[in-house]
Formats: sequence, structure tokens, C-alpha cells
Amino acid sequence: MAMLDVRHLKKIYTTRFGGSQVQALSNVNFSVEKGEYTAIMGESGSGKTTLLNILAALDKPTGGEVYLNGKDVTKIPERELAAFRRDNLGFVFQDFNLLDNFSIRDNIFLPLVLSGRKYDEMDRKLSGIAPRLGIQDILAQFPYEVSGGQKQRAAVARAIITSPQLILADEPTGALDSRSTESLLELFGVLNDCGQTILMVTHSVKAASKAKRVLFIKDGEVFHQIYKGRDTSETLYQKISDTLTMIATGGGRHE
Amino acid sequence: MSKGILMYPKLAATNIQKNSRTYVPYILTCILTTAMFFMIHSLAENPGIDDVLGSGTVRYTLGMATRVTGFFALIFLFYTNSFLMKRRKKEFGLYNILGMEKRHLGKVIFCETVDVAFMSLFLGLITGAVLNKLMFLLILHIFHIEGALQFVFSKKAFLDTCLLFLGIFLLIFLNSIRQIQFKSPMELLREGQAGEKEPKTRWLTAILGVLCLGAGYYMAISIENPVAAVSFFFIAVFLVIVGTYCLFTAGSVALLKLLRRKRNYYYKPNHFISVSGMLYRMKQNAVGLANICILSTMVLVMVSSSLCLYLGMKDMLKERYPRSIMITTKDYSEQSVEAIKDRTRSVLSETGLSAEQELSFAFLSFAALEKEEYFETNTGSGSVFEIDNLRELYVVTLEDYNKMTGKDQSLEENEILFCDKSGEYKKESVRIFDREYKIKGQAGEFLAGTGTMNDVSKSYILVVKDRKALGEWSVLQAGAYGANASSIKAVYGFDLNAGDEEQIAFYQKLMDRMTAPSGPGEGILNVSIDCRSSQRKSDTGMFGGLFFIGIFLGSLFIMATILIIYYKQISEGYDDKARFAIMKKVGMGYGEIKRSIHSQVLTVFFLPLLGAGIHVAFAFPFITRVLAVFQMTDIRLFALCMAGSFAVFAVFYLSVYQLTAKAYYKIVS
Repeated sequence: MAMLDVRHLKKIYTTRFGGSQVQALSNVNFSVEKGEYTAIMGESGSGKTTLLNILAALDKPTGGEVYLNGKDVTKIPERELAAFRRDNLGFVFQDFNLLDNFSIRDNIFLPLVLSGRKYDEMDRKLSGIAPRLGIQDILAQFPYEVSGGQKQRAAVARAIITSPQLILADEPTGALDSRSTESLLELFGVLNDCGQTILMVTHSVKAASKAKRVLFIKDGEVFHQIYKGRDTSETLYQKISDTLTMIATGGGRHE
Repeated sequence: MSKGILMYPKLAATNIQKNSRTYVPYILTCILTTAMFFMIHSLAENPGIDDVLGSGTVRYTLGMATRVTGFFALIFLFYTNSFLMKRRKKEFGLYNILGMEKRHLGKVIFCETVDVAFMSLFLGLITGAVLNKLMFLLILHIFHIEGALQFVFSKKAFLDTCLLFLGIFLLIFLNSIRQIQFKSPMELLREGQAGEKEPKTRWLTAILGVLCLGAGYYMAISIENPVAAVSFFFIAVFLVIVGTYCLFTAGSVALLKLLRRKRNYYYKPNHFISVSGMLYRMKQNAVGLANICILSTMVLVMVSSSLCLYLGMKDMLKERYPRSIMITTKDYSEQSVEAIKDRTRSVLSETGLSAEQELSFAFLSFAALEKEEYFETNTGSGSVFEIDNLRELYVVTLEDYNKMTGKDQSLEENEILFCDKSGEYKKESVRIFDREYKIKGQAGEFLAGTGTMNDVSKSYILVVKDRKALGEWSVLQAGAYGANASSIKAVYGFDLNAGDEEQIAFYQKLMDRMTAPSGPGEGILNVSIDCRSSQRKSDTGMFGGLFFIGIFLGSLFIMATILIIYYKQISEGYDDKARFAIMKKVGMGYGEIKRSIHSQVLTVFFLPLLGAGIHVAFAFPFITRVLAVFQMTDIRLFALCMAGSFAVFAVFYLSVYQLTAKAYYKIVS
């Protein structure tokens, strides 16, 4: 059985005074196997972020189901949601979302502290991942004292320290320079090689080309997908570019 | 051309409208601060103060309070404006990039400041006047304070308020200009969202705070002599204020950092978020919290002590005037005293009243410094530091003593009976004026309740052999003190079984009788007469006025406290909104958010109240001693007043908490 199963997902936004309705997702279906590294691409306004928010249980869908390991995420009651997110999901955001008033170390500890873990356990986990992420020297510093790349690696550390089932990344390279982008993508590759399931929303072709599988969303539906298979990242990069061009020029639908 | 001139005022007006979310609280703050200053100043200018107990001191204190409030207004408006500017820098940066020059920005800011200044003054003065009138009506009505202050519109207060606040707004304008003048557009753009650095621990300031507070507290508890206490009062208050500021600013940061270092404490869901959040917060909040703490302390001290004086008035009168009518004369000869009694009897029979609980004796009282071996009466040698050794000596004749106590003691030449209330005097004789008097026995507190003893300094009672001996003491004392010498007084007092009005009528008649002789051979008797009933009437006005001022200032300070707290919560809510959004994404539930907000808001909120409680507790023994100067010695009553004031204040505080916590939670979630 697939680890993540998304069925007939639908989301309609209604403006505050009940006026016009906007359909963000019309019918999204896909599934992700354990250990997969999937990128979701699409133009601005195609519903990528809406999809991610629903997967993260930050938003409720208008219709459809999202199963994580067989459990319907959309049916989890409000008061269990936070704990569910903490235990099963890890987040990496475009703008890092580190808290200025915590040191890097405490930012990484945040989800564990919320789960009520002991300091020794947290420290053990951190010393297990910090060297891999190259952040062991900046742990005592504050977010405003370190570079964007370092911030994002700290955010990754925060995402993986709970050993989540799934990492959800929302435009993780969006605010990074090319060198930091390169090293972050490499990091994602390494994490995936160790068995970590990753789902990344991006519109960077370069970022998507590092994934094992790319889904394209258009008009609120999954429009097309490409598997990397034995291709190199460069070949995948070309294929993605072609697909995007085709979507943009309004080509026919692939089956 | 005319379009160009109108552009800036228009732009300013639109800006204020567009930024209403931050501008409305700011303008409200300005209005209420103006109103508050106007009200306090009006009270200080109120002519009715002259009828209030200790009017000189009250007027002086109110003058000080006006100045402090003015200064407070300056600081507070600067502080709130800095919040506003921080939020708006991005906007100004954008204007700058879009082609507005700095001087154009200056014009826009100028127009905005003029708008705000005009609104604040206009609405502030109206609010102040209306609220002032309302509070007079309300307080006088609720507490039935008779003959107290009346509402008066003060022109001087009006003009001063206008001048002060125009000055403050000018300064605020110049400060805003300074803030944008030397910044590039990019710097302005960035500053709005710049992460604030963690505050540094300033150990020196924290330690200074502890020392100041400790010293202030120590002074408050240790000084036993209220005469000395009054002279040290301002030093103690000053130390406590400095200590409070130091501790709130540096001490809080130091404490939070210590807590953060304790891993078992810090890494718990609640503590984790609140400790780090508060550490971050303390930098901008500490001064505001310290202000609240000091204001609250003032409210509590003022309200409780004036309430106590007001309620305790009856007992105090009883203490000061143990009999309904007290006649005192400096001519203590037997003939004189008999003459007084004769005339009193005639007035009594005229009015059909009878004297009860008669009291009649002569005494000499003077102060002396108690040294190791003797009592110092050389006036030149005393210094402020010896004021704790100052003793009041009361000298009474054995004849009066025996009469008052019903005993039959006898004394030889140079022998005395002695009474020391505290029982600390262990010597067997008293050396004074180079003479030695042997203590034959203890006299007991037979003068208690005769209205002659005061509680201000420690006092000793000496019973001497006879009138001749008393006269000798008087001469010796006069030789030592010269122009400052006291003289022997004879006291004749009695109770009247009649209503207040009747007693006052009797008092008037008695006065006339003593000074205007009605028959042949009667001369003018030089006496002073105190009548408790007539005193009660004037005291009601004096203490009522004091109580009114206490309630009035108390309510104003509560208003200021609420204002600061509300502004703080609202402005912080916007800052915290982003933080809580992140925490929600990382896996924090509504419940946890709510709990952490509560624990944070609660701590920030109740720290000043706790501080005020501790301040008041340490001030308690001190104030009881100051109250003793007013003959107010009922400590139980004062404790009740204090506890009551604190409870009422805490209820007010709690409701503000409920209100602001709700507003805060609404903003962040």
C-alpha cells in the first residue's frame, strides 16, 4: 500500500462575503510510496500551495481524502492535529520560518520540546544529524546572525529531528542563492538515499530535476508526471523544461 | 499650484486612515494622556486644596505629581510613537524609492503630526474636562464626602496642557525626521522587519537594582522614629524607584537567562515558548512594566492611607481630644485653674449640661537627647543622626499623680517616679541639667488617653515631688532652651453628654465666657479650648479632601495602568502573530498556543502587581509610623484598608487582563 494516497481532492475557496467562488483544486489524485522523492510543479496559481497545506493538515479540503499510512488526515479532530503533524510530518519552508527569539539549537528542538521529550534525548538526536547538515558550529547562534543557506539547513534539521514519515518542502530553494540551492538539493538527495520520503513543491526546474519523480499540476488537477528512472538529472531537467513549455503553449493532454 | 500645497495634508490624512490599525491606538493614547495631565493639573490648581489637611504638603505633592505626569507623558508618547514609526519605515522607504524626497516626507510627517496633535488636544481636553466633572460627581456621591473639594475649571491647567503637549508633539516630529533623514531607502525598507537582537545581560545594573531595593526596604523597616522617617522618606522612595527600574530592565533579563540555562525547566512546552518570548519582550517592555509597578504602588499607598485616615478619624479625635471639651492654660496656678473651673460651672448650669469624667492636672513637656549617662539639653549639639535618641519628657506633680491614679505615694526631694512605655530605660536615676534624680518607683502609663502624649517620639514620664519642684524643672528647662523653652500647662477636660450641635454651642459660650468677663472682678482668662465636635466638623473636610485626592489620583493611575497594558498587548499581538503562525506550522496546537499565551501574558501582567504588593508590604510599617504623626495608631484598621485597596485594585487589574488577553488572542490566532 502507498504511504501517501491522495484521492479526488477538491478545494473551493469562497470569498468572505459569500460572493464569488474560486476553485483551487478540482480533482487531484496521486500516491507516494515510502522512500520516494517527489517534486510537484506548476505555475503560480495552479494550486500547489493549497495542495501542500491540505497534505500538512493546515487546511481542510472541500472534498476528497488524504491517507497517510492508511489514516485519513482530513478526518483527524482538531485537538489531535498538532500532535499528528509533529509526529508524522516535517516542514521546510521557502522563508525558513525560524523564530528569531530562539537560538538555532532551540529552533531545531522546538517540535521535540512540544512533544515533551527529555533534553538528553533531544541532544542525542541533534548530535546525530548536525554534522551531516554542517550546522554544528552555528547551533548557539541566532537566526539573524547566520546566512540564508545555514538557516535553511537549520530548518531541515528541525524537519528531520522528529524522524517524520514524510517531509513536506514548500519552495525550499526559493530564497537561496545558487550555491546554497546546490548544497540544499544535495542534502535532500542524501536524505532520500537514507530512505527519507520527501514531497517538494517548487517551480524551480533545477530543484525538480533532482527528484525521482515529478508531478505537474494544472488547473487544479494532476496533468502529467515524469519518472526519473535511469535518467541523469540533466536529462530530467530537459524533459521537465519541455513539459513546462508544452503546458505553457497549451499542448494536448498526455495519458 | 494650490493643488501642490494641499497635497501633503491630504496625503497625511489618507495615511492616518490607511494605517488606522496602528494609528487609532496611538491617537487614543495621546488623547487619554492629554486628558490625564489636564485632570491632575486641574486638581493641583483647585482652590479647595487649602481646606485639606496639611494643605501645604498636599499642594506641593500635587505639584510634583503634575510634573511627574508631564514627564511621564513625554516618555510614554515617545515610546508609543517609536512603535508607530518602526511599522511605517517600510512605507516611507517605498515613498522614497518612488521619488519622494526626504523633505517631502518631512512635510507629510509634519502634516500627520499636526493632525494627531490637534485631535489629541481637542479631544483630550474635552475628555479631561468631562471626565473630571464626572469623577467629582461620582466620588463625592459614592463616598459621601462632605465639604470636600468642588469641581473648578482651571484656566492655567488648560493653557499649560496645550503648551506641554504642543511641545511634546514638536519633539516627536523632530525625532521622526531624525529617524528617516539619515537612512537610505533600502535601509528604511528593511528596518520594519529587522529581527530584534537578544538583550544583553547587564549584571551590574541588576546588582545595583537589588542593592537599591534592599537599601530602600531596609530604611523603610528599620527607621523607628517617624520624625526621622519623614526626613528619610524621599531617599527610601527614590531608592525603591531606582531599584524597581533596574530590576525590571536588567534583573528580569538576568533571571530569564538563568532560567533558560536550567535545561530541566526550560525545555518544557510551556516554559520553552514563554521564557524565550519574554526574554525577547523584556527589552521593550521592562520600562513600561516598571512604570505600572510604581504607579500601582502609588495608587495603593495613596488610597489605603487616605481611606484609613478618613475612616479612623473618630478614633484619632478621641486620641487627640480625650474629652469633649479640653481647656488648656499656661497659668497653672491654683487660683487660675479654680477660676476656669468656676466659669465653666456657671456656663454648665446656664446650659443645663453636666460635666462627666473630669480631668485636671498640670504638666511640663520638653524634648531632650538621651545619652549614655545623662539627658542632653544643649540645643546646639543635636544632629539629625541622633534624632532616634530624641525623647519627649513629661513632668507631672505627685499631687496630680495621686489624684489621677487614686494612689497615695510620697516622694522626697530629688526623688521621682518614672514611666517608660517601652521598658528600655534600665538606670536607677535620671541625670539632667547637671542634677541627679533618684527613681523611687515606676509610675505606669497614667497619662495615656489624656491627649498630652504624642506617639511621634519615645516619651518618658517623670513624677516630681510637688509644684515647687515642677517650677524648678520649668526654670532649668527655660534656662537650657531659651526662646524655644516650653512652659507648664494646666489642663482641664470633661465630657459632655450632648449632641454635636449642642456641644459646639456650649463651646462657643465657654469661649465667650473665658475671654469676655461678665461680672466684676473677673479678668480675661488666657486659655485655649478644644471641642471635639467642632474639630470633627473641620476634620471631615480635611480628611475628606485628602481621601478624595487619594481616590481621584488612584483612579487616574489605574487608568494610566490600563492604558499602558492595553497598548502593550495590542502592539505586541501584531508582533507575535507571525511567531505563532510559524509555531502552528511546526506542530503547535490551539491549546498549546492558548496556554503559552496565557502563561506569558499572565507573567508580564502580574509581575507589576506582585512588585507593587511587595513594595506596599515593605512600606507598611513605615506608613503606620507616618500615620502616627496624625495620631492614627490603629494598625489593624490600616491593614484592613490596605488589604481592601489591594483587593479592589487586583479585581480591576484582573478584568483588564481578561479584556486584553482576549484582544491579544484574537490578533495572534
